Amino acid sequence: MTSHHQYSILFAICTLVVALLVASPALSRLLVFPRNEFFTELWILDSNHATQNYPFNITLNRDYNVFLGIANHLGYSAYYLVEVKLRNQTQSAPNSFSHTSSTLPPLFNITAIVADEGIREQPLTFSFGYQHNELLSQVELNSLMLNHVGLDLMNNTIAWNPGKSEFRCDLFFELWIYDTTTNSFKYHERYVSLRLNMTV
Amino acid sequence: MSQRSFTSIVSALVIISLCSLVPASNVKASQNTVVSAELDARSAIAVAEQRIVVCYQAVADADRAGANTSTLLTVLNEAGESLSRAKLAYKMGDFDSALSYGLETQTKLDGFVESADSLRATAIQQHNWDFMINVVGSIVGTIAVICVSSVVWIILKKRVLRLEA
Repeated sequence: MTSHHQYSILFAICTLVVALLVASPALSRLLVFPRNEFFTELWILDSNHATQNYPFNITLNRDYNVFLGIANHLGYSAYYLVEVKLRNQTQSAPNSFSHTSSTLPPLFNITAIVADEGIREQPLTFSFGYQHNELLSQVELNSLMLNHVGLDLMNNTIAWNPGKSEFRCDLFFELWIYDTTTNSFKYHERYVSLRLNMTV
Repeated sequence: MSQRSFTSIVSALVIISLCSLVPASNVKASQNTVVSAELDARSAIAVAEQRIVVCYQAVADADRAGANTSTLLTVLNEAGESLSRAKLAYKMGDFDSALSYGLETQTKLDGFVESADSLRATAIQQHNWDFMINVVGSIVGTIAVICVSSVVWIILKKRVLRLEA
């Protein structure tokens, strides 16, 4: 290969490299892979931001801390509503298979407006007031404090579960999203729950 | 019965009747107050709800335009928390607190839409500048590099051919 030919190749390569460098800002904006997965994440973490130490055995009037998180990957800012509900073992629960929410009325609503690709994490502190009815072998729930707000438990009772030896209830959080076409909230087919045992 | 005793009896009866009406009117007045408080609370909550929706749409538009809406979202979420407390208070029959929280929600959102619209306008302008500089400028620069390289290549080649000749 003659030196003339070598210099030609070197000149062409240098021109190509400089052209690519100059074109890189435009290429980074034009060559964007389209997003094809749109979803919302909903999670609950323990007081250490982990998944190992969720509250389970509940003591009367003691505070328990968890973190409720929402991440928005819908491609637009979303207006979420988290409905806080409490159920015993005989009451309606949300269903993951039929994608339906519980028919129980919410005790409280947590509002979360999250930008696209944004995350909102809400610390929650809750405590229960209850009393043990030995005669009927049940726990009568008097109060639920959530972030220092007293919620009406509507005389909820929890029967003794002899199989699992516990007074079990579920504190769960359903995710609803504002639909701008119907101007109302619809169930976003996601929930997280805490399984709790009222110790007596 | 003498005229005087008859007058006394009638006067006593009128006084007794008037006295029995006073507690009834007080009860009715307090019932009206409660109904009025409930209506005021319900109205404040409804207005606050509607305002949050309008503000959400404004912040969504700003976010779509590429604006940094983190400050606005903090304010909006705080307003949402006040609204939740208003609804809870209303549900529990504490209409005064419900009204207070409802009004607090509305106050927090004063000037919100204007701020969101301003951020959106700034973001659109910035996006246009960014497009002009980064995309159009980059394409023009690339074409210029190729053209200048081609001219230099032609000049150098002619010089080499002349030297060889």
